[in-house]
Amino acid sequence: MNIRNNFCWSLEKGDLLPVLLMTPAMLLIAGVMVMPLGFGFFLSFFDFSFGGFSILDDFAGLQNYARILGDATARRSILNTLLFSAGAITLEFVIGTIIAVLLFHLSRLAGALIRPLITIPLLISPIVVGLIWRYIYDPQGILYWFLGLFGLSIAHFPGVTAASTALLSTVIAHSWEVVPFVVIVLTAGLVSIPTELYEAAYMDGAGEFNIFWRITFPLLKDVYMVLLLISGVDTIKIFDIIYSLTGGGPNNSTISISMYAFNQAFMQTNMSYAMTLSVFALVVTFAVFGIPFVRRNRVRSHG
Amino acid sequence: MMHKGRRYLRGLNFLIIAVLLILTLVPVYVIVSNSFRETLAIKRMPPELFFKPTLIHFQRLIQRDNFLKYFLNSIIISVSVTVTTIGLGTLCAYALKLFVSRLGERLSNIMLLGKLVPSITILIPLFLMLNRVRLTGTYFGPILAHSAMGLPFVTWLMASFVRDIPREILESARVEGATRMRTFYKVIFPMLTPAIASAVILVMQFSWNELMFSLQLTNIHTYPLTVGIARYVGAVSVDWGKSSVAATIAMVPIIAIGFFMQKYLVAGMTAGAVKS
Repeated sequence: MNIRNNFCWSLEKGDLLPVLLMTPAMLLIAGVMVMPLGFGFFLSFFDFSFGGFSILDDFAGLQNYARILGDATARRSILNTLLFSAGAITLEFVIGTIIAVLLFHLSRLAGALIRPLITIPLLISPIVVGLIWRYIYDPQGILYWFLGLFGLSIAHFPGVTAASTALLSTVIAHSWEVVPFVVIVLTAGLVSIPTELYEAAYMDGAGEFNIFWRITFPLLKDVYMVLLLISGVDTIKIFDIIYSLTGGGPNNSTISISMYAFNQAFMQTNMSYAMTLSVFALVVTFAVFGIPFVRRNRVRSHG
Repeated sequence: MMHKGRRYLRGLNFLIIAVLLILTLVPVYVIVSNSFRETLAIKRMPPELFFKPTLIHFQRLIQRDNFLKYFLNSIIISVSVTVTTIGLGTLCAYALKLFVSRLGERLSNIMLLGKLVPSITILIPLFLMLNRVRLTGTYFGPILAHSAMGLPFVTWLMASFVRDIPREILESARVEGATRMRTFYKVIFPMLTPAIASAVILVMQFSWNELMFSLQLTNIHTYPLTVGIARYVGAVSVDWGKSSVAATIAMVPIIAIGFFMQKYLVAGMTAGAVKS
């Protein structure tokens, strides 16, 4: 503590250097993040598209928010986003866990060779991932050729062409990209578990599943929590992959909140309503993830 | 040592890993190889392993659709974003270290909330603001937006590394008469190279791959690759030769960079989740 006190380069003692160093970053965040957020929030209480705008005439109060309730497409987009989020997180966690555990059991060399290969999807732009999967889901494409080998056809799994399976198809494409991330993070968690913990269990002849459920999972709870936060936040803002894979269709069956807001803003020029939708998305994100997000990081940086 | 009963598990393990590798690599391979196939050959199922490569799709995309320009735009934008965020984020992280109290730590955690903000919530008002000052259609829009979106995480990441540098080191630099900025350049910055490498690959791939901001804030002269793809090949009927080339041009460079920076990529990604 003595060092701390001698270390008199601090704001508390009237020193301005820290402030000076932070200023550029803070200005950028203030100008490009905080200010637009404030302006957007403000806009959501007005009836504004483009051009002229008067504070008195165009004040709309909570009308835009009420409009969400009565708008079937908006409700659909909210439902889709939540379903997408839940589906993607479930799929990523299950597959990611299986793969991480399996890779962990491989020899060190094999793991080192395979891991860089499976992280490739992570680096690919979601719009390109969408394109890749559009090719896969093409009625004349590789998936239906493959299913054809087993006597299955597009009638059994219509993919992106039918409203019933389109959302699932986008979830699969998104998970293809994100599973490697889950694997990387879980692997880092697995490595940190002392091997002695497993040895006793193996001696007792416990099965793989039991070992995972009784030993690994409880120890990795924190890691799963972070993964849940990150995946949750990422899926609530989902846009790119849907944009390139289905464009929100067929029949709005895959439209997400971000996508609906984007369309309202830039195709219908309903700026205020679009802003209201996106404020709604922001509020949902913060309500669900905000507190655990901050708390989690505080706990970590102290411990 | 494997127990006898576990041998079949081992076989199963290899089998699943093999399937995983196929599922990961085949889609990428097919798209990349399609960009060298004749249009008719792309339609043929199953994809032939051996074929006569052609550069016709590359030619069309580069000559007619200007993809070389989009490629350069992507480089301009992502490099500017990387330099901006790393520069500002590192300075900010150092500043947070200079606070005596826990204020610095708290600030870096609060900043992380920026990661929660959906792009669309920023994009709509930012578009209106930039439109007012006639900055839409320039490189400024995406550079500003990507930098602001990346900065909270980069600052937090750098701060978590700076925090681990013992204060004694800073103190001894001071005793020897170094100014704080000199300490930063001579002592802190070199110690941060691994962290910077992690931040570079994460930010660069974010900016290179970002679609939504670029889609609305650029025009035909400043489109990056992602927008080029969205505008030209995302139409209802897809020209697969063209799309495959566009996808290849967009993904191969960043995959290559990520592959060589694998170690730092993994370190950066896990820093957010697993505290070593």
